[in-house]
Amino acid sequence: MRARPVLALALAGLALSGRGHAARGETYALVGGRVVTVSGPVVEAGTVVLRDGLIEAVGAGVTVPADARVIDVKGLTVTPGLVDGFGGVGLPSSRPGPGGGGGGSPAPGAGPLSPQSLALDRVRAADALKARDNGITTALVIPREGVLPGQSVLLNLSGDKVEGMVLREPAALHLHMATLTRTFPGSLMGTLAYARQALYDAGHYRDEWKAYEASPRGRKRPRFDPALEAWQEVLAGRELLVVTASRENDVRRALALADEFKVRLAVAGAPQAFLVAELVKARKLPLLVSVNFDPPRAASPFGAPDEEKERREIEDAERNPAELHKAGVSFALVSGHAPDFLAGVRKAVERGLPADVALRAITLAPAEVLGVADRLGSLETGKIADVVVWSGDPLAKDAKPKMVFVDGQLYEPDERAKPSPSPGAASPGASPSPGDRPGPASSPTAEDLR
Amino acid sequence: MSGLAAFVIALLAAASPAPAPSPAPRTAETLAIRGGTIITLGPQGTIAGGTVLVRDGRIAAVGRDVAVPAGARTIDATGRYVIPGIVDAHSHTAIEDNVNECTDAVTAEVRIADVLDQHDINIYRELAGGVTSANVLHGSCNPIGGQNAVIKLRWGKRPEELLFEGAPRGVKFALGENVKRSNFRVPGATRFPVTRMGVEVVLRDAFRRAQDYKREWEEYDRKVKAAGPKGEKPLPPRKDLELDELRDILDGKVYVHAHCYRADEILMLIRLADEFHFKVRTFQHVLEGYKVATEIARHGAGASTFADSWGYKVEAYDAIPYNAAIMAAHGINVSINSDSDERARRLYWEAAKAMKYGGVSETEALKMVTLNPAWQLGIDKRVGSLETGKDADIAIFSAHPFDPSTRVEMTLVDGTVYFDRAKDETKGPLTSAGGAQ
Repeated sequence: MRARPVLALALAGLALSGRGHAARGETYALVGGRVVTVSGPVVEAGTVVLRDGLIEAVGAGVTVPADARVIDVKGLTVTPGLVDGFGGVGLPSSRPGPGGGGGGSPAPGAGPLSPQSLALDRVRAADALKARDNGITTALVIPREGVLPGQSVLLNLSGDKVEGMVLREPAALHLHMATLTRTFPGSLMGTLAYARQALYDAGHYRDEWKAYEASPRGRKRPRFDPALEAWQEVLAGRELLVVTASRENDVRRALALADEFKVRLAVAGAPQAFLVAELVKARKLPLLVSVNFDPPRAASPFGAPDEEKERREIEDAERNPAELHKAGVSFALVSGHAPDFLAGVRKAVERGLPADVALRAITLAPAEVLGVADRLGSLETGKIADVVVWSGDPLAKDAKPKMVFVDGQLYEPDERAKPSPSPGAASPGASPSPGDRPGPASSPTAEDLR
Repeated sequence: MSGLAAFVIALLAAASPAPAPSPAPRTAETLAIRGGTIITLGPQGTIAGGTVLVRDGRIAAVGRDVAVPAGARTIDATGRYVIPGIVDAHSHTAIEDNVNECTDAVTAEVRIADVLDQHDINIYRELAGGVTSANVLHGSCNPIGGQNAVIKLRWGKRPEELLFEGAPRGVKFALGENVKRSNFRVPGATRFPVTRMGVEVVLRDAFRRAQDYKREWEEYDRKVKAAGPKGEKPLPPRKDLELDELRDILDGKVYVHAHCYRADEILMLIRLADEFHFKVRTFQHVLEGYKVATEIARHGAGASTFADSWGYKVEAYDAIPYNAAIMAAHGINVSINSDSDERARRLYWEAAKAMKYGGVSETEALKMVTLNPAWQLGIDKRVGSLETGKDADIAIFSAHPFDPSTRVEMTLVDGTVYFDRAKDETKGPLTSAGGAQ
């Protein structure tokens, strides 16, 4: 038992070695556009130079290199590529939504309790690349189903092979605060107990192997366990644990779990995080706030859905980003498997989130949470050339990406592509696969069980 | 298991460290509840026109002639009845998501405390019924359910602040129909047991595993001791959160609150507890308890029952409303519980039924929803009666709590007013304790 090597590959390395990518080497100069760097001030009529997959220069007085292909982007807006810090980009879906957030319905092969399962193994490159139509250049991919759905992969959406896209693998280990129906855990308290036991077991497993490796003679070899292997990097504090929270108290629960086992934590989803804004701020909790404001909800085993409550939850979720910002909390906005990422972000802006904060929340902020802000997320010299040229302010309703550069490669989006709602896109907090969903009469009521 | 905690690297944690847990919420306000009829349920009996002095969240004095310090706020209780806050020995209030972990027969590792919902409006509604503490229990889906959470109804506080600090731990057991699932079907799912015989097998098997587990850890402790401070430390056994709980039951550190109905299954659990040398703290519902009152009394368990609820399922056919009185007459500590967010608001009238059916005295009947359930939960040194030094958990009624016209005017927990009818009625409808952090 030893940790799987963590592939924290800067794609620049791959680009320079010439592996994995065709059409490398072209140098671009985007001239005359409104350059929104995110990390610094906005440059009106600036220039951005991209070379060998990296940003070579950004600013107002930049000299255009002689060998560059010059693109006049006057009247257009240049931003960093968008980062979807938590979604299903490239995962198989029965009804793929081209809106960027990625498909929803369950893909075969992954159990609901398999921390060892790798999203990398399930991504379809061709599907993932479609997200570029909406200006998304980087995506964290994790299935929404299950309780322990495995480990996510962070992709940069260029090339045609998934391996070439990898920024970080595994990016994080995920725990959805969800439940199963016929097998443990069938309740939220069961989910917490399961996670706690898994972390204890992972620690015990580590100690067993450590003792064995120290003196194997005369000692029985411990049994290899892929699920417990998967926890090791998290337990050692080297890999992020991302807990998907769908309720206010899930944030408290996630923090309590992380405190108990001293693991690095980020919380995803968190549609009611503004209710615990002070706690989030005090604990500097990294947040991946979902813009999937109205995910299909799990059928309640206890009678008809409470429509009033659902309406309130949607309203809360929509104003959550603005309220968090007002409370002084910094956070990333993520698709949360919504079929249309940008539509959700625009809704958050409509509900009072300042547009510049929103743009940061879908570029540099998720890069910070995911530990890649040193290589992408803003327009800065030396960062990966993930750049989008928009018809106007990217958060304006009718803005369209005209050109998308990923690793410095130009991609011209299909402007006909329109996000369409995907019925399969449920929230991770909801119930697992349809086949596993309780029918209205399938579970005992509270009255039955008194 | 300290090995794990010691090994991980705290400094790498992404989030900032947790602040030290705050002490139990207490009020600094000094209160004098004056002029009412004080039913102490303690050695002082009932005091007409007395005073309860509250300081630092505790009862500083009770009596007819209590010196009220200058600066104390006075609550005029003239014409009213002041009683200890009601304790509900069986509640499912304030649980978020499923109340049952139904998928396994033994789930002692799940914790109600993990899923408390401080926004449950029923906390407030129960305060309006004079309830101040509750035993929040896992459902009765499986023979060994989850760990309970004894809470105080501190409406508006954070979930962890609801916990009754220092209350003994407890685990919910369940016997009979709900466990063997004759009352409902889960399509496609069969889970052992489906008979009462099977329930006993599950329990015996669980405690045998717990005995093995206990031995395993004792063996480990012996090895650690033998190795001495400088010797090679043996590897600790696997920590099993389920068996931890069951071992602690064997060691008398965790209460068993056993849902049951029929006499035969009550006797079964007593025999099994004797076999494994542990005590059942309470039999819950225990509608046929009157048939085996001698055995329950001999075992030393409490009994927490309904006043006059019967016939609603096959195992409740033999229930009689005299159950509470008969069990009490046999020396059993008896409480009347709600098992219902609705009934919890009127437990005082439920207690009154013990007078009608079986002639329990007024004081003994009132104890069935205060001091007796407090003993059953191991919190009787803190609550359940109005005595100097106890927590200032107090309900003030407009008339005697057994009067059909009575209503609760004010409810205090730890000396803090959490329900004040006169004041709250001016606020309009209330749907949740919004924004409390």
